[in-house]
Amino acid sequence: MFHWLEKNPFAFALGVFITIAFAGLVEIVPNFAESARPLVGTTPYSTLELAGRHVYINNSCNACHSQLIRPFKSETDRYGHYSLSGEYAFDRPFLWGSKRTGPDLLRVGNYRTTDWHEHHMKDPAGVVPGSIMPAYKWMYKNETDIDTAYAEQLTVASFFKTPYTFTKDIGTENARMIPMKDGSTTYIEMGDTLEDAKRLALAEAKLIVADMKDEDVKDAVSKGKIPEIVAIIAYMNSLK
Amino acid sequence: MNKIYLWGVIITVLMLVVTYYTLVITAGDSGKDLSEILSGDIVNLLTVLAAMALVVITVFVVIKYVRQMQVDTADGELVDDSWDDIGEFRNPVPQGWAVIFLATMVWAAWYFTIGYPVNSYSQIGEYNEDTKVLNDKFTKDFADKMQEFSEEEKTEYMINMGESVFLSECKVCHGLSADGIDGKSADLNVWGSAKAIVDTINNGAKGLNYPMGDMPDRNGIMNANKDYAPITDLEIEIVSSYVANGMKGEGSDVFAGACSSCHGLDGKGMGGMSPNLASYGTAEFTVDVLNRGKKGFIGSMPAFNRLNATQKQAVGAYITSLTK
Repeated sequence: MFHWLEKNPFAFALGVFITIAFAGLVEIVPNFAESARPLVGTTPYSTLELAGRHVYINNSCNACHSQLIRPFKSETDRYGHYSLSGEYAFDRPFLWGSKRTGPDLLRVGNYRTTDWHEHHMKDPAGVVPGSIMPAYKWMYKNETDIDTAYAEQLTVASFFKTPYTFTKDIGTENARMIPMKDGSTTYIEMGDTLEDAKRLALAEAKLIVADMKDEDVKDAVSKGKIPEIVAIIAYMNSLK
Repeated sequence: MNKIYLWGVIITVLMLVVTYYTLVITAGDSGKDLSEILSGDIVNLLTVLAAMALVVITVFVVIKYVRQMQVDTADGELVDDSWDDIGEFRNPVPQGWAVIFLATMVWAAWYFTIGYPVNSYSQIGEYNEDTKVLNDKFTKDFADKMQEFSEEEKTEYMINMGESVFLSECKVCHGLSADGIDGKSADLNVWGSAKAIVDTINNGAKGLNYPMGDMPDRNGIMNANKDYAPITDLEIEIVSSYVANGMKGEGSDVFAGACSSCHGLDGKGMGGMSPNLASYGTAEFTVDVLNRGKKGFIGSMPAFNRLNATQKQAVGAYITSLTK
């Protein structure tokens, strides 16, 4: 019946490849497309949070901290609800991590607060006896790179259609409304220009700094500069 | 007789002899007699027998195939197709294989339509079952203990449980000894005492998010019984002891004048308008803080709804025990 195939090995190999590849596509793609969609209530990062994410990556926080809670009681007792794939829809790249030297941080925003992070980053062993985490003192001085964060927002908004809303589009039909768990909708604002983005990030930073104690950091923010510590705290608080 | 059979016998005898001497040498090393070793342990005997069987079987199998190569001629029906000018015999699939193959297909159809969908393993399902089992066990153990324990043992049990929860959840901010790590958070060794209330009245309080809003500092607290004069140091002392004693003893007049406009005459917070001071210093008050979280002067504390009701009570019992 298939003598023709048996006599044409190249065509045979091609046929086998197409058959298996098709089976793979049918099994993998629909499932992947389904689970890669954001959950209801999952919002993209604001400018300052995204900048904080960059600080997180720059300092290789993901080398010691995972962001993936497995469905075991021992994990959910410590870190909260187990991870769902849709929660990572706006993480580019995801920061699951492969090793936990420190605790998981996927939902750290639920059980740590701004003032705690401030103390902790300055002197980890001071609040957690025996902690081997190094102090990140330079974060209190280095200025946050808002330019890159805004560039990333623009890129993902146009390329991946991440639902950011330009300031000028708020209230118009171009606003990208995001469904929330309580049935309402919200939007995540993104500056029209770089200047706008910086203004938005600064407004966000002021809210964070209101809960902080470090006078130098407060001073810097009141002068319009955003130290990295503020950005990374914004990012930590957004992890829920 | 074919030469190959002769060789077979020679090799068999040779290898059995080698086996025998290996045994003798081994026995000599262990200082025991050969018959003693073989009769003492069935495993040794079986091993020797297996070694001998291996020798014989190997030799005869080899002989069989060598003979086959020497004398066999090709027969059977050739297939019609010729791929590269080398003929092939028609080799039908053995019947047993064909049956198994068809059975596999039937099984696959069953598994695809019924087997997997009905019995499929789910990681989340297992998690839910595990969690339920553990939670039920916790509830049952706790209920049993509360049945059999005396009041004293109950208190001690709650304090111990509270301490273990405190050490995993609370110590990162309040410190191992609950002292608030040099003012980085509330000092729970003082909380619940009159001293802490004096501090609260002097500095005001905020953050529990009750409808009454923030409590003013001492400059904003007036004694209605004395023509709204600002509260005095002495009055603060008196009313603090009064609240810390569970709204008993001296000081009810000051409380009525200065505090009751928000907290109610009985101190119970006017039905959820403000914190219930009648429960100040008890586990109930701690549970309220754990439920609400607090954004106060020192910093903010998240709500701890990850703890179950018993654990919250236990933390309350532990913290209360610190001040006594």
